[in-house]
Amino acid sequence: MGERRRSLLVGVALIGPALLVLLLVFLWLMASYLWLSFHAQNLFTDLQPVPVGMLNWRRLVLDARFWQDAAQTLRFALVSVSMELGLGLAMALLLNQRWRGRGLVRSLTLLPWALPTTVMALGWRWIFNDPSGPINGVIGGLTGSTVPFLASPSLAWLAVVLADVWKTTPFVALLLLAGLQMIPADLYEALALEGGNARQALLRITLPLLRPYLLLVLLFRLAQALGVFDLIVVLTGGGPASSTESVAGYAYLNAMRFLDFGYSATVMIGMFAVLLLLGGVLLLVLRRPARFQP
Amino acid sequence: MAGILALLALPLAWARPPLTITVLMPAPFAEATAETVAAFNRDHRRLRIAVARGPFETEAVSDLAISSLLLGDSPYDLLMMDVTWTAKYAAAGWLLPLDDWLDGDPLAGVVPGAREGNRLDGQLWRLPMLASMGLLYWRTDLMAAPPRTPAELVDRSRELQEQGLVRWGYVWQGRQYEGLSCVFLEVLRGFGGRWGGPAASGIGLESPQAAAAASWLRQLVETGVTPTSVADFAEPESLQAFASGEAAFMRNWPYAWKELQKPGSAVAGKVAITTMVAEPGQSPAATQGSWGLSVLRGSAHPAEAVAVLQALTGEDSQRRLARDWGYTPTLASLFDDPELRAALPLLPALRQALEVAALRPITPVYAQLSDILQRQLSDAITGGLPPEAAMGRAGRSSRAVLDASGVEEV
Repeated sequence: MGERRRSLLVGVALIGPALLVLLLVFLWLMASYLWLSFHAQNLFTDLQPVPVGMLNWRRLVLDARFWQDAAQTLRFALVSVSMELGLGLAMALLLNQRWRGRGLVRSLTLLPWALPTTVMALGWRWIFNDPSGPINGVIGGLTGSTVPFLASPSLAWLAVVLADVWKTTPFVALLLLAGLQMIPADLYEALALEGGNARQALLRITLPLLRPYLLLVLLFRLAQALGVFDLIVVLTGGGPASSTESVAGYAYLNAMRFLDFGYSATVMIGMFAVLLLLGGVLLLVLRRPARFQP
Repeated sequence: MAGILALLALPLAWARPPLTITVLMPAPFAEATAETVAAFNRDHRRLRIAVARGPFETEAVSDLAISSLLLGDSPYDLLMMDVTWTAKYAAAGWLLPLDDWLDGDPLAGVVPGAREGNRLDGQLWRLPMLASMGLLYWRTDLMAAPPRTPAELVDRSRELQEQGLVRWGYVWQGRQYEGLSCVFLEVLRGFGGRWGGPAASGIGLESPQAAAAASWLRQLVETGVTPTSVADFAEPESLQAFASGEAAFMRNWPYAWKELQKPGSAVAGKVAITTMVAEPGQSPAATQGSWGLSVLRGSAHPAEAVAVLQALTGEDSQRRLARDWGYTPTLASLFDDPELRAALPLLPALRQALEVAALRPITPVYAQLSDILQRQLSDAITGGLPPEAAMGRAGRSSRAVLDASGVEEV
């Protein structure tokens, strides 16, 4: 009994500081934003918070722009994160094999991740340029006409997805590679002895044992993608016709341009609620214990 | 005895560090005012100016300033301000009213086009430092005189395009950002409309003139006079298209002139400027985009800050900015200055444009109104919504914003 209590105390002491920081930084911030969402704080209240009850929340529910931005942000996050997971997994599997030059390629694949987002977004602005960017150079050479990627409300969001996939796939690959290296090699040897093939190795060993890593990457990337901001600011500025505006962009507009802090906080908490819901569903669906099937 | 003590104390007084007044400016202006600042610091023993170099992009400077102001203790005494910020900053209580600190009418020497947008609710909040306004750039090698009406501009463009002399007729700023509001204001005025007025009337956007102006912009894209990619054009993209010789006309600010004369430009020496086209019987209009200086209310040394404000917006400073950097002055006296007229052949044309300067609505909620207009215009230009419907939406949304803020007229 004494032993158990001691280990419990040590455990609490060890995670205590981290928990405290988390509480201070995260919960305090969220709580103050939640509080602010029930207040008006804008130019007409002399920038002082004034209680307004549910006013901001009623406005949010009726705000077509918020829902449009939420839908656009979700679409962006789901499409880009699925592509990143698929490509990242392929990259990780490839980089986990032994071949000449692997070390060099491993370092090179990390380059996009190392670039500051604004810099790489400027690069992609040029790549998508109509008519002088390289993509339109190829399209123009083949078809004789060019595609206004960033000036078309139906294409601009795909351009944002592509730039994001390019930048963050290496991050996904890196985490999954770490996961792959945790899988004991003797499992594969045992499978080989039993006459199993590569497909079985992937489906019965690799993927099940990689599941916790996949889940971790998925949550990381979803949270990041749902807060997308700087990439869009540089690449499209939220246009054309607000087709690439994200919720974070809308919250920023309300706070920094309109000085409407009460509503900006409501927009952010609103999106956080959506994120929480999504995260909960994902955890329920995906968080089953890894099973090893010989 | 007292005299000896005073003598002894003198070196101590000198040893006291001089009072520093900090000015936040966008990076390009920090560079352009460096000489004026150096001269000021040479001439003043007890007072010196420190310039904080802000980001290049206009709105990023505002973000930086606002962040520091929200935190309460801003490190800046003076702020270089875009004309559209003044009302917002004044309403937020961040600016020092200048009337008590300046004698006479501080705007008396300013040309009419740059005088507006500084005084609000009977208080002076800002002194203009340099002017900027929307101009129509045209190719002197392709035509003898610029078009005066929207129809003429389109006809001339199509002729030149059909003759294969240019790929595009007219390039402008169609990205969903502040520049699009500036472009639209000029076209709207040219069609006899107005952006502003009672909230109940949709501040002029639910009008046939607004619909005509938005339709004209959409048709430019539809008929190929303007490239489709204009919906992603800010100033640099339009400048690039025009400088490469691909377009006959461009809408841009005065800064573009110098860029067009540089070696990389295909149109150096083949460009002239004029004011935007307007329907017969309507006056052309040039969106005013002036920069000025304001003193922050939180400044611990308002008297000294005002002295710096006067030095930086004064005649010597403006002369240097015009002569060495090509910026348009706001003081009337400088437009007749022989030295400047020789250095800047554009000066008379710029003054003419300033005479038809059009102001964007002066209101604390300007950013909301402009955001609404940009969003709907972008929708119209890219063909998502018929222009008339888009303007109707813009008018209704503007009314909603104004109603919620208790503002009846802008």
